[in-house]
Amino acid sequence: MESSYLIEARQLAYKINEVKLFSNFSFTLKAGEALHIKGSNGSGKTTLIRILCGITPATKGEILKKDDLVFTYLGHKNALKTYLSIRDNISLLGLSKNEDLKTLLTSLNLQNKLDVIIANLSFGQQKKVALLRIFLSNSDLILLDEPFVGLDSASHNLLCKFLESRLNNGAGLIYTSHISAGIASKDISID
Amino acid sequence: MKLLLPYTNEALKLIKKTRAWIGPILIFILIMVAFPLTVELSSTNLSDAFYPVLFISILLVMMLATEDIFLEDYEDGSLELLLISNKSLSQWVFIKIFIHWLFIGVPISLLGAFFNIGANNDLNSSLMLLPALGISTYIFLILFCFGNSLSLTKGSVLGTLITLPLTLPILVILGKLTSAIIFNINYFEFLILLFGILSIIIFAFPAIISRIIKTHLE
Repeated sequence: MESSYLIEARQLAYKINEVKLFSNFSFTLKAGEALHIKGSNGSGKTTLIRILCGITPATKGEILKKDDLVFTYLGHKNALKTYLSIRDNISLLGLSKNEDLKTLLTSLNLQNKLDVIIANLSFGQQKKVALLRIFLSNSDLILLDEPFVGLDSASHNLLCKFLESRLNNGAGLIYTSHISAGIASKDISID
Repeated sequence: MKLLLPYTNEALKLIKKTRAWIGPILIFILIMVAFPLTVELSSTNLSDAFYPVLFISILLVMMLATEDIFLEDYEDGSLELLLISNKSLSQWVFIKIFIHWLFIGVPISLLGAFFNIGANNDLNSSLMLLPALGISTYIFLILFCFGNSLSLTKGSVLGTLITLPLTLPILVILGKLTSAIIFNINYFEFLILLFGILSIIIFAFPAIISRIIKTHLE
């Protein structure tokens, strides 16, 4: 693997209950590149992202990662405690002392909702709180599974701008989305 | 300070989720208060029946306290994040069980010793009972957490059924320890036996539980 590569997947395959979800799936991702994984519902996009994260083992194939690769992941589950306030969740995620937090909360229109319980927020607002973890991370690789679902156009644009700036700074991005993001990326279909 | 952060995080979650720890404590108090009211026994028989009722109610309450101990973190995706982070999953399990013991096991042990004063009119036996209750509540918590990790996605009944036989030897030791307290013989032998069991499972089971949780996540 070349040193500029962040991650490389070789001949990945995944089978569940003897049903083949995908096979011979290969790609390479360099620093500053984005990869958009496309596919119909149930084609295995989420499973693929989970395999790349190391949560689910692939049935076949291998994944090579850059040494000391730091990555962040946001899947379908937001990893938020619904009985806690936004402030408490931010504290649990260890983001309270981040200097960009205040600005970001204002941009996401959450600055006045810090003491609101997550369960009382809308789906989109919960998604925005979950995205704080991505916005405030400084990782080499960002893995997102349907990140635009539930976001209003302002938050959608904010996320796109953020991802573009991270790409320009040399990070990599792998995401699945049925919604067009407008980010320059390599499209790869899993079907 | 950074070392204590996982402990304070788990404590924060439990403090805010009051029903998870106040509920079991209230049920325990209810059983211990209701038990002498519902049976007509002479005071001698009442003190004889006190220990079995105490131990069985502790067993029941610990079972309730661990019913969905890992489910919330599994369902909201926190466990996935923990798995892909550099943090140790077994350390997290250890911390989670410890904090639950602190919030539920310790108060129940203290209350158990307190109720013993009422039932047996003997402060000395309560002081002897207290460490045994502290250790046994921790053991029960660990064992039920093990059962719940096995049936994480299948409901808590299966896990409880698997775990219950593992708790029987502890109940037998507690029964023997009660006799030891009453007759003032071999008390420390049984206490050390309980402590020995705890010292093995306190580290072994979090490792096993974390492996089981990882399998569920995969």
